[in-house]
Amino acid sequence: MNRDNIRNFSIIAHVDHGKSTLADRLLQVTGTVSARDMQEQFLDGMDLERERGVTIKASAVRMNYRAKNGEDYIINLIDTPGHVDFTYEVSRALQACEGAVLVVDASQGIEAQTLSNVYLALEQDLEIIPVINKIDLPAARPDDIAKEVEDLLGISSGEMLRISAKSGIGVQDVLEAVIERVPPPKGDLDAPLRALVFDSHYDSYKGVVAYIRVIDGKLNKNDVLKLMATNARFEPVEIGIFSPGMKVIDSLGAGEVGYVATGFKTVRECRVGDTLTLDVNGAQTPLPGYTQVKPMVYAGIYPTENDDYSDLRDALEKLQLNDASLVYEPETSQALNFGFRVGFLGLFHMEIVQERLEREYDLDILATAPSVEYQVLTRTNEMLTVDSPAHLPDEGTIQEIREPWMKIQIYTPQEYIGAIMDLVIKKHGEYVTTEYLDKSRVVLHYRIPLAEIIIDFYDRLKSVTRGYASLDYQFDEYRPGDLVKLDILVNEEPVDALALIVHRDDAYHKGQKLVSKLKELIPRQMFVVPIQAAAGKRIISRANVSAMRKDVLAKCYGGDISRKKKLLEKQKKGKKRMKMIGSVELPQEAFMALLSLDDDD
Amino acid sequence: MIVPLAIYLHIPFCRTKCTYCAFNTYTNMDSLIEPFVDALIHEIRIGGESKPGQAVGTIFFGGGTPSLLTPEQIERILAAISTYFDVMLDAEVSLEANPNDITQEYLSELRQKGINRLSLGMQSANSSELKLFARRHDNDQTARAVSAARAAGFDSLNLDLIYGVPHQTLSGWDWSLQQMLALQPDHVSLYALGLEDGTPMQEWVAKGRLPTPDEDLAADMYELATEKLAGAAYEQYEISNWSKPGHTCRHNLQYWRNLPYAGYGPGAHGYADGVRYSTVLSPQRYIKALENVSDPSVFPHTPATHEAVVVDRSAEISETLIMGLRLTQEGINRKTFVQRFGIDLVELHQEVIEKYVNYGLLHVDTEVVRITQQGRLLSNMIFRELV
Repeated sequence: MNRDNIRNFSIIAHVDHGKSTLADRLLQVTGTVSARDMQEQFLDGMDLERERGVTIKASAVRMNYRAKNGEDYIINLIDTPGHVDFTYEVSRALQACEGAVLVVDASQGIEAQTLSNVYLALEQDLEIIPVINKIDLPAARPDDIAKEVEDLLGISSGEMLRISAKSGIGVQDVLEAVIERVPPPKGDLDAPLRALVFDSHYDSYKGVVAYIRVIDGKLNKNDVLKLMATNARFEPVEIGIFSPGMKVIDSLGAGEVGYVATGFKTVRECRVGDTLTLDVNGAQTPLPGYTQVKPMVYAGIYPTENDDYSDLRDALEKLQLNDASLVYEPETSQALNFGFRVGFLGLFHMEIVQERLEREYDLDILATAPSVEYQVLTRTNEMLTVDSPAHLPDEGTIQEIREPWMKIQIYTPQEYIGAIMDLVIKKHGEYVTTEYLDKSRVVLHYRIPLAEIIIDFYDRLKSVTRGYASLDYQFDEYRPGDLVKLDILVNEEPVDALALIVHRDDAYHKGQKLVSKLKELIPRQMFVVPIQAAAGKRIISRANVSAMRKDVLAKCYGGDISRKKKLLEKQKKGKKRMKMIGSVELPQEAFMALLSLDDDD
Repeated sequence: MIVPLAIYLHIPFCRTKCTYCAFNTYTNMDSLIEPFVDALIHEIRIGGESKPGQAVGTIFFGGGTPSLLTPEQIERILAAISTYFDVMLDAEVSLEANPNDITQEYLSELRQKGINRLSLGMQSANSSELKLFARRHDNDQTARAVSAARAAGFDSLNLDLIYGVPHQTLSGWDWSLQQMLALQPDHVSLYALGLEDGTPMQEWVAKGRLPTPDEDLAADMYELATEKLAGAAYEQYEISNWSKPGHTCRHNLQYWRNLPYAGYGPGAHGYADGVRYSTVLSPQRYIKALENVSDPSVFPHTPATHEAVVVDRSAEISETLIMGLRLTQEGINRKTFVQRFGIDLVELHQEVIEKYVNYGLLHVDTEVVRITQQGRLLSNMIFRELV
């Protein structure tokens, strides 16, 4: 097909603003998916995605559409993940497009988190098509919302579509707007092949399947190919398009979106953002923007039952096949026995991985509080890398601890500057500068220790700005800090999996909070259980979990012993999920206590 | 040794539903009482005919509200049991009653028909608690019911109380105990309130309309009761039960000793000949199940049996333990246990027993294993490890 009749776009929207519903309608209107095969959130293949209403993995689908002008078009919809942890993946998916449909809820208006993605799209020079969705709801204020979007993005409110994806109103107009306003792909068909890998998945028969957008040149099924960043060479098992299932074709030319089955056994050889070219007479320069994403957050993941260790290892291995950003290595804890230290892109990524391990692999796991990677300079001038507080060497042997700092940008309406400033200062951040986007919106630039933002920073930012601020971050540098290890002792014994590395001035406060949180979380045992926090060797906080006094079954009715027994068995199972630390039973939540400290002060 | 059978009869009708109750009971079904009695008699007959000459040591009318039955209905039921079973001369025949349903005349008739033990649902002496429970009586009615029972010739009388109730105070509980002791029952059952799924009480607590009962306070209440009852010469023989000498409830002892009992009526439970079973819940379905039955049943099954499982040895052991350890004096006799299961209990559960002996919750000597004073309120901890 003529390249002028190809359109590549993605949809940018806040959670619940109707991205998946609109995508579903587009698939129906273009006849890509028959009514019989249709199910809600068609592109979100994972149960987890459906339940959370959020896209975790990117996907792509080719739709054929005859426009009102009588011409036939190929429209590629590239679905992007919806969370700041996956900003890099989003940026690569957007790089594969010429336009983006921005979906805004007609009653809620534009949410700040969406803006960050809109800016990413603008950076890539994408044409933005704002769409006001859910206009048929009673609370809809389409005119006000259109005005808001106009003020924010400088796009005339008259150009904005007003639709209801749910009831099908205006869905066809979206397709027409994509054809009219999104430019056709440019690219040089005669230049050496350059194709952008914007995602991948693992197929047990075809190996790693790379999702690609051909920028220049042409790709044939018999070409020997090369990935420019990893230098991995391969002959494609097959090439094809998503329509929406995988459909084999012979070639993909500049402007087209499809897939290449690489036959690779791991995604490490085929990373998101890499450039695919020909092995012989390939392109000289790769496409811009490739970065190897590195984990920012580390946590211990342990099987609740020691016997499940090898199942956990297998599950992580399988997850990694589809998720190159997931890294792990074996780790041993005195408290939790054998498990893994796992690296994640961020907290959301961590949550997703945990849930997938539990649900898709049916594992009972326990995760420790997240940590960052520290550099520790010893008195013998050795440099150690420590991503687990438990492994911090003895204080006496340490010359200096360095921690990762980030550059962060916070997009916010002006009125929240004060609140954000307070929050950042409390988290040891440094103010850099303020940029004015327009009359009412600013970007605040700060530097801040990564450890301070991985725990609850994002949530608290949302709460102090009533959800209006959005956050972007990039690694800045390692800096020395006045850091100490905070040990938690349960029943007089330090629990390695509960240890933290904190700023010295926070040690007292955090120790106290943790101790009182643990006191809440640890069920009463048969004896008094002291919980203590210690910085260095000094106890800085203490509380007691008082002894359990009553654990007795009520009346048993008419000899219903089975019911009693079932109840006891159920309780026994609940107990089994606990971890024995010495003679104390600790619930799973205790290991995540750090995340649930209510930080009102 | 021949072990006599205990018979539990479930009378599933109530005038009103108490707010804490999750038992199999129904209101506004008075018209079904008579057909139910016919069906129950039919089930008893089927049960007895499937086990000719079976001795019966205790009979228990539970509910629901058995005192909604007329003396004639009770007489017919007892007559059926006597016809189809071999009821022992000294059988204990208990009936649960609400303090407000009964008159002296009614009780005299029951006594004549053969009921020899009465259990009254006193629950509390405080009107605010009784109101919260949606009980239909006040403390005066309880007192009158007790006098009526004595006048009617009941020399074995139990009173139930509930503790660990939202808003209940230690002094409020003390008052209930005093009132109860003043009535001089022969037997006392004290139950910690359980918040059962589907009950209004549970919903109110879940929604925050009532405070969650304080476990420590409930423990204090239990300890206060233990002290007061000992002072009044009641002997504790089970975690929740106290009696004057010679007044232990033999029917309930049958459960705790894990000995056989038959359960008749809708939603009744039974355990006999190695089978644990329950019957259909709904009175209508129960009545229907027993219409036009001609084929004989295999004991303990009847046409009303809904679920039945064969209890294997390991289940029988764990059930024997979790029930038997509730008996605070008797505990589990090691010799009897060996006779029954061919293995010494202390050998079988060495680790658990050692652990809880060390914690002071279990007592072990050459004769018995039983829970200690301290173990009474924490018994679940031990039981959990034995199931």
